[in-house]
Amino acid sequence: MVWSSSLKNKCFFYMRRMLKSKTLSYIIAISLFIGFLVFVALRQRTPINFSRLAGYESLILEGFINTIIVSVIALFGSIILGFIMYLMTKSKSQTLRTIADVFTEIIYGTPLLVMIIVMAFLIGPAFNSFNRIVWALSGIIIYITPYMSNVYRSVFKSISDEQYMAMDLFGFTATQKYRYIIIPQVLRMLMPPFMNNFSLIIKGSALLNVISHRELFFTISLFQTRTFAYSEGYLLMWLLYIMITVPLSQLTKYVERRWSLE
Amino acid sequence: MNIKIKNLTHAYDVNVLDDLHLDLDGYHAIGIIGISGSGKSTLLRILAGIEKPNQGTVEINGQFADDKHYKQNIGFVFQSHTLFPHLTLLENITIVLEKTRGIDKQTAKKTAIENLTRLGLDDQKDKRPNKVSGGQAQRASIARALSVNPDILFLDEPTSSLDPILTDEVLSSVEKLKGLGKDFIFVTHVISFVKDFADYVLYMDQGVIAEQGTPDMLDNPKTDALKNFMNKVR
Ligand SMILES: Nc1ncnc2c1ncn2[C@@H]1O[C@H](COP(=O)(O)OP(=O)(O)OP(=O)(O)O)[C@@H](O)[C@H]1O
Ligand SMILES: [Mg+2]
Repeated sequence: MVWSSSLKNKCFFYMRRMLKSKTLSYIIAISLFIGFLVFVALRQRTPINFSRLAGYESLILEGFINTIIVSVIALFGSIILGFIMYLMTKSKSQTLRTIADVFTEIIYGTPLLVMIIVMAFLIGPAFNSFNRIVWALSGIIIYITPYMSNVYRSVFKSISDEQYMAMDLFGFTATQKYRYIIIPQVLRMLMPPFMNNFSLIIKGSALLNVISHRELFFTISLFQTRTFAYSEGYLLMWLLYIMITVPLSQLTKYVERRWSLE
Repeated sequence: MNIKIKNLTHAYDVNVLDDLHLDLDGYHAIGIIGISGSGKSTLLRILAGIEKPNQGTVEINGQFADDKHYKQNIGFVFQSHTLFPHLTLLENITIVLEKTRGIDKQTAKKTAIENLTRLGLDDQKDKRPNKVSGGQAQRASIARALSVNPDILFLDEPTSSLDPILTDEVLSSVEKLKGLGKDFIFVTHVISFVKDFADYVLYMDQGVIAEQGTPDMLDNPKTDALKNFMNKVR
């Protein structure tokens, strides 16, 4: 009697600990999602059959790679343009600040899809340029720019006035201040929000299909119209985006924790 | 130390310091007290040469506060610690010594450890500021300020962001610095610390020095303002 009751207690103890454990809860949550996917897949009119992908691997890979290429370009573009915009908002010139302000409002008010279309089909042609991908990509860059500018603002603000006073008092030269104190701090703090915006860009880049750029969304659509394997295409498309963005967000969280200075 | 303040006036929107005069010699620890907004921090920053006054002059030990080399002889500890958050406590000190004083790595490290040890932080030296307590961070700020070997150490309410236990911890470390042969000018709300540590006290009220003298003046205040203040802080 005594033995069995203590054994029972032990069992309960371990079960409760397992239920509380993070790993287990993740396994449950992810299984739920996979279960849902399976349910959805099984409910399609024609059974899902991934072997229909055969022969189209390189097309889809091309889309996958192009998505990453345009996203990386847009990331760096908006990192640079965002910094310029940040400098404008900090400028002594009222005109520059107002320009930054007005542009920000206009960009905030524009859906990304509209921004891409306007850039590629309206503004580009106004400059006699029909290089749609360049204009559309600029559209994404411009769309993200105010968000990047905000990132810079909050990061630079987090270096306190007293820290600057301390640097002055010790007699750091301007170059030394940036090189040893400001930039090393700023870089750490910029990284996680940059990565978050990168994820936004990757997701937004799917909209480039409206200008027939051969990114992931577009190449999968091509595959679908050629094979009529619509369900397979959508499922694959979804999984491929998640395969990039979820690890990216995990990495972001890791970097955030690892580099936190708070 | 020898302090001469002449016609010191400073305004932001209104006058914060109003025509101050002071001529003191031979004191080593000057405590500044007064209610919030009376101009203590402003006075301290001007004395340290961090801020330029609108009018008047400050001269300490024969050197004017607007002198190029003035700040080299000064250490300043702010209300909240100003350690550089991406560097360890040790690196916070060595970077200052190496980059701004041109001291070589080994010597810088030795000096840094010496000063951290003096403030009881030798076992914390490789931690970042976010990994130590507020009191330890503030003591590290003091160690950093000391490590450039200043003649005068300024402290502006170094404990106002700390709880009572950490306050005690920091203030008793400061008291132990008495033997270093340095001079101190400090602002604090902790009256017992003023009585223990200061050898001269300035009581500020609305931008003027309303009463001054040795710390025993706190037990027998002459002006009503200081009387009220002492009743409040008790
Ligand atoms: N940089 C500034 N710009 C504008 N006004 C300021 C600035 N610094 C201080 N003041 C004003 O000057 C007055 C005196 O401020 P100061 O910080 O010197 O007071 P204090 O005695 O140190 O107060 P506390 O005990 O709250 O620290 C206050 O009214 C404050 O609002
Ligand atoms: Mg103050």
